[in-house]
Amino acid sequence: MWLRSWIRFSVIASLALVLLFVGFLLSASAPFFFNYGLSPIIAREWYPYENLYGLLPALIGSAWVIVIALSLALPCGLATAIVSVEILPQRYHGLINVCIDILAGIPSVVYGLLGIALLLPWLENNLDLLSGHSLLAAGLLLSVMILPTITRLSQDALRDVDTSYREAARSLGLDWSQRLFSVLLPQAWPGIRSASLLATGRGLGETIAVMLVVGSIDRIPQPWYNLLAPAQTITSRIGREMGEASVGSSQWSALMACALVLTLSVLLLSLLAQRPART
Amino acid sequence: MFNRIILLFTLILPFHASFAQPTINIAGSSTILPLMADAANAYQAIAPTIKITVSGGGSGTGINAVINGIVDIGMSSRQPTATEKAKLSENFDIIDIARDAVAITVSKAVIESGVHSLSLEQVADIYRGKINNWKQVGGFDKKILVIDKEPSRGTRHVFAKTILGDAKARAPGANIISGSNNEERSIISRSKQAIGMLSHAWLNDRARGIALTLDNGKTVSASPADVLSGSYPIQRSLSIIVAKKRSKTLQAFIEFLQSPALAPLIKKNGYLPLV
Repeated sequence: MWLRSWIRFSVIASLALVLLFVGFLLSASAPFFFNYGLSPIIAREWYPYENLYGLLPALIGSAWVIVIALSLALPCGLATAIVSVEILPQRYHGLINVCIDILAGIPSVVYGLLGIALLLPWLENNLDLLSGHSLLAAGLLLSVMILPTITRLSQDALRDVDTSYREAARSLGLDWSQRLFSVLLPQAWPGIRSASLLATGRGLGETIAVMLVVGSIDRIPQPWYNLLAPAQTITSRIGREMGEASVGSSQWSALMACALVLTLSVLLLSLLAQRPART
Repeated sequence: MFNRIILLFTLILPFHASFAQPTINIAGSSTILPLMADAANAYQAIAPTIKITVSGGGSGTGINAVINGIVDIGMSSRQPTATEKAKLSENFDIIDIARDAVAITVSKAVIESGVHSLSLEQVADIYRGKINNWKQVGGFDKKILVIDKEPSRGTRHVFAKTILGDAKARAPGANIISGSNNEERSIISRSKQAIGMLSHAWLNDRARGIALTLDNGKTVSASPADVLSGSYPIQRSLSIIVAKKRSKTLQAFIEFLQSPALAPLIKKNGYLPLV
């Protein structure tokens, strides 16, 4: 009996916490949207001292960083999952999982420091950049950080594919690539899809590592596909400015608006990840 | 049984005593941080019962934290802004403890390429984006990596006020934005073509202060002589902010900060003592 009420309490408490967070962000950013409307979302200039709060550069920066990270981490993570679940014998599974868990366990500030010490000088020298700080650096760093999420969840998705499908595919005489592309991946797709969505959410929220390598400058890349330019993400903006904004000021509520945009997009991604997709 | 209880008490007591220790919390300007850390150590040698914690965050953070009562002392290396002044109002004291110069800092390779001094106008043009190659100011043919600082940083206020004419001026020529002196110094010393602004105490071999040519033709550097004589233009007071209503413990520490005992520590950190 007490177990049931405990579970019920926990569920209600977590729901209440989510509502509380969103409610707080809404109320804290309300003055901002009241004063400036929704136009700051597509405005380009962010100068708190001049009461200019354009979100566009940070939104574009965040989008680019996550696109770079996903386009690297998704193929690599998926391949790792396929190799470790379908190809390697059972006794190597532990080793691979340990490696992935170590990757997942490294604190993000350590990734940031590694980025500064190794990645930035490497980019600077090899691509002849003014400084290594760039969207590319942040994207590369982030791809390593979301790799474990994608790999682990894709492994689970592949493991959940019923053995009868594998046996049926084999008895039909399908070769390995046919089995992979027409049976295994389609069957595991819902899991892989939520893996990528969760990883996207994790990546969007990543702050300190991105902040250390992205350059933190509010500028839209010129031209728009110039990934070697320094830029700003929503998280690096919040990370850099939260400490200096006095509570209740317009800068503070503008930062809260950033936080709200970020939270809503991550919540949306989590919801999408929940919904079972039909195959 | 009794023995165990007594053992337990002897274990707990020393911890209990340490919790009861009077504590002074300090946060703010990363420029004052190393000096304050030294001062705290020195003070603890005199008054071992007092616990002092010192952390950074920047002048803006320091001022806000002391206003919100999060810390006892806020460190600030710039003048409070109008809104901050309104909040500080009558309830807080701003006490100067030392002077500091903000050095225009360049990578070692830049000086070696032949740029030995810059005029205020040239520095302004670099930060406004009008000059973007070192060869335009007599150096090698390399682009300039212009590093700006987070807008609330004290170093930036002082720099922008002297160079760009307004503490809050934009710097459209900037390539990247850094935070603490530490972060900025590591970027400058890693690069071969960077320019930035550092508190004088943070200069080293690979991140060197560059001399400034004034409008009257005189060349000055961020050295103690030029700073104290007032001829070096980018300088400021390092100050602490404390509530007017304060404990005796806190007052004693503040008097220590204003005493001549602090002078050697100020000099050691590369700043200039007032007394």
